[in-house]
Amino acid sequence: MTRTRIAAILVAFALLALVPLVVTDSYVRHLFIIAFIYAVVASNWDLSLGYTGLFNFGHLTFFGVGVYTAAILAETVELSPWAAILCGGITAALAALLISAPVARLKGIYVVLVTFAFSQLAMQVVLSQSDITGGAEGIVRIPYLQVGDYRFIRDYNLAYYYTAFAMLCVSTVFLLAVVASPFGKSLRALRDNPDYAASRGISVARQRIMSLVLSAVFTGIAGGFYAIYLRVASPEVFGFGTLSLALSMVLIGGVGTIIGPVLAALFLTFLTEAMAGIRGLEDARFIVVALAMILVLRLAPGGSIEMLSRLRLGAGFRSRRETTDTAGNRS
Amino acid sequence: MTTSLLEASHIYAGYGEVPVLRDITVHVGAGEAVGMFGPNGHGKTTLLRTISGLLRPSNGTVHFDGDDVTIAKPSDIVGRGLVHAQQGNMLFGDMGVAETLELAAFKPRARAGAKAALERVYALFPRLAERRKQLARTLSGGERQMLSIGCALMCAPRLLLLDEPTLGLSPRLKEELAVAIGEIHESGIPLILVEQDVEFLLSLTDRLYLVEHGEVAREIDQASAPDHQEIMDMYFGTAAT
Amino acid sequence: MTETLIATIVSGLLLGSLYALMASGLSLVWTTLGVFNFAHGALMTFGAFVAWTVAEAWGLGLLAGAVAGVGAAALAGVLIELLLVRPFYGHRNMLLITVMTTLAAMIILQNGAQVIWGARLKQLPPIVEGNVSIFGAVVSAHEALIIVIAPLVLLLLWWFASTTRTGRSLRAVGQNQDSAALIGIDVPRAFSLAFGLSAALAGLTGVLLGSIRFITPSLGAEPLVKAMIVVIFGGLGSLGASAGAAFVIGMLEAFLVLWLGLYWTPSILFLLLILVLVFRPNGLFGRANA
Repeated sequence: MTRTRIAAILVAFALLALVPLVVTDSYVRHLFIIAFIYAVVASNWDLSLGYTGLFNFGHLTFFGVGVYTAAILAETVELSPWAAILCGGITAALAALLISAPVARLKGIYVVLVTFAFSQLAMQVVLSQSDITGGAEGIVRIPYLQVGDYRFIRDYNLAYYYTAFAMLCVSTVFLLAVVASPFGKSLRALRDNPDYAASRGISVARQRIMSLVLSAVFTGIAGGFYAIYLRVASPEVFGFGTLSLALSMVLIGGVGTIIGPVLAALFLTFLTEAMAGIRGLEDARFIVVALAMILVLRLAPGGSIEMLSRLRLGAGFRSRRETTDTAGNRS
Repeated sequence: MTTSLLEASHIYAGYGEVPVLRDITVHVGAGEAVGMFGPNGHGKTTLLRTISGLLRPSNGTVHFDGDDVTIAKPSDIVGRGLVHAQQGNMLFGDMGVAETLELAAFKPRARAGAKAALERVYALFPRLAERRKQLARTLSGGERQMLSIGCALMCAPRLLLLDEPTLGLSPRLKEELAVAIGEIHESGIPLILVEQDVEFLLSLTDRLYLVEHGEVAREIDQASAPDHQEIMDMYFGTAAT
Repeated sequence: MTETLIATIVSGLLLGSLYALMASGLSLVWTTLGVFNFAHGALMTFGAFVAWTVAEAWGLGLLAGAVAGVGAAALAGVLIELLLVRPFYGHRNMLLITVMTTLAAMIILQNGAQVIWGARLKQLPPIVEGNVSIFGAVVSAHEALIIVIAPLVLLLLWWFASTTRTGRSLRAVGQNQDSAALIGIDVPRAFSLAFGLSAALAGLTGVLLGSIRFITPSLGAEPLVKAMIVVIFGGLGSLGASAGAAFVIGMLEAFLVLWLGLYWTPSILFLLLILVLVFRPNGLFGRANA
């Protein structure tokens, strides 16, 4: 990552930290909170899908497991909501461990099928175990967050905003650290050149398990936070709609970039919410997202970040590092 | 020029950014058998793939029987009778020998004479007749080559492109195939035969092309055929550069 | 007691028939193109909706509706292949990309159905009215018909693939595209045909299912998931194995419901899936290289 890019990211995050000072409307803050949650989900998914090259289509399972863990612990067991959220991360990691056992040895399309079926069966289990999960109605009136006597419900979402933002920051730093670590480098080596990596003694199965478990932790925490924040847990989180929205964020943001999906999550959350406000577009907004996904795959398989950098190259705005590359070396 | 059955002119082609053929021109006259040899990776197979339409040339033209087939679909090119038997190919692994041969008479033109063609293939390669029900992936290397040539014959060829049909075969099997290829040509089917073994080619063809670096390095007439030592020098001398 | 048993077997056969129809469509596209069509369930929904519009809303009768539903689904399938699959042939990541584009197609079809037909529950009339009695267990005639139709359709498909020239050409394309082209098979046309035929099967399933379940935009979601489980168990590579696995899963589900009730069935199926995958990662009937 270039210095300028790191600087740009830091500035963007600093601006996000200042948003609530300017924006006092609780609905707009709500949109930011939802966007932050999706950003965590999408960027963590990028770790397994983009960085590991694992065809994981069950990522939303980890989110759903976090949602229901937090909801059940906070509502039924009456655990502190804060602890319930963190427990969401733990159970999601356990779910990842469970699914990684078969996935570590599967190939190609069967990875897609098994991970996808895993999430759909998880939904079936949630629907059928209605004594614990509330079935199709879900769990409602989940306790809200509070710190001491400060309650998170009458401050126009200010505290929730910063909690969600903090979660996104920690998750992003965590992901960037994982990617920059020797483990992250070995993931990329494995993805780009499996035979070479295997000959160097990198174990495919171990890498896949690690990658899935690491990507599940913050996804589960985000799920837990989602349940506590909205005060409901419903089986929709396992559905095709949530899946395709999160997938479009990873794709449009750029696979294997971590930051790309974060930006795309912000953009797409506001876009879909804006469309939901227009009469007649309520149901059509997911069609727009799906079309955008197809367009990105056709025109810029690397995602919008790659597209932007290509545009910049084309327009002649070259950063210092790019000019040091030999001219015409498109790789 | 119009007397040629096949006329591939000034062909440039390759895979992605890698050019393989550079301005290569070959032709086959009616009734002719043409041999092609040269080092591996210098474009023989690529040329055949371009002629049969599997690969589109970036420049140049292919004419078959007077018609421009440069950008025609492979299925249409087969329909015209220009048939390509690929190198070391296992065809359809999970299909039986008879099923494959029957399917190979796919185009309406081939279907008309399919029965007679099948009998001819079995007469030419009795081993295939013995293995009618056997799946292609269980065949030996030589039997696969026979099936591959058999399939090409089922397409009612007016020109046959054979890409290294004896690759990796024992001398005995190679002799068997040489006899079969000779019979095919004598039955009136012109062909391009790609081989590494120049003497094998000289025994079966009228004219040879030496293909090097994606172009024709030399054309050799049967009448002025060089002797063994000359061929060896030509082959290894130029290939080493 | 025997009545319950027979009713359970019938219900298992019904589920198995449904899953077999779905799985065979997925398998057809997979063996010909190497693409897994996520939109398969949505094509089924689409077929059911079109059939309902023609048969009920326009009042043209069930036969016209069924024909329109199957035809519309086939057409949509051909379009998906042309627009969302064909541009990516030969791409390094074709498998993953087509999973995503067909997933997008599913979203478009499903939400499109929501926009066009709304969320109000719809249902097709049964093909045959009344009930039949099988060894003392009473089953609706329509359900009995499905149990008869499904194996017939599967047999027809098998006959098509193994004996007809077109069917064989699809198999040839699936096994070796270059060789298929070199004996004169139009490979792109074979791809459209496989997609169209598979979508027609999905449409037919939708028409059959549309009178025993309510037609909603998400009608095809659950059968798709079950068909995926079927192909995980049976592998995608062969029609016979996926049909066999479909009936095994259907029976298993019916008997689990009988013994354990709806409450526990999904959880047990889930556990079974994980267990089978841990011990047999290529599925119950899968080959190592499948």
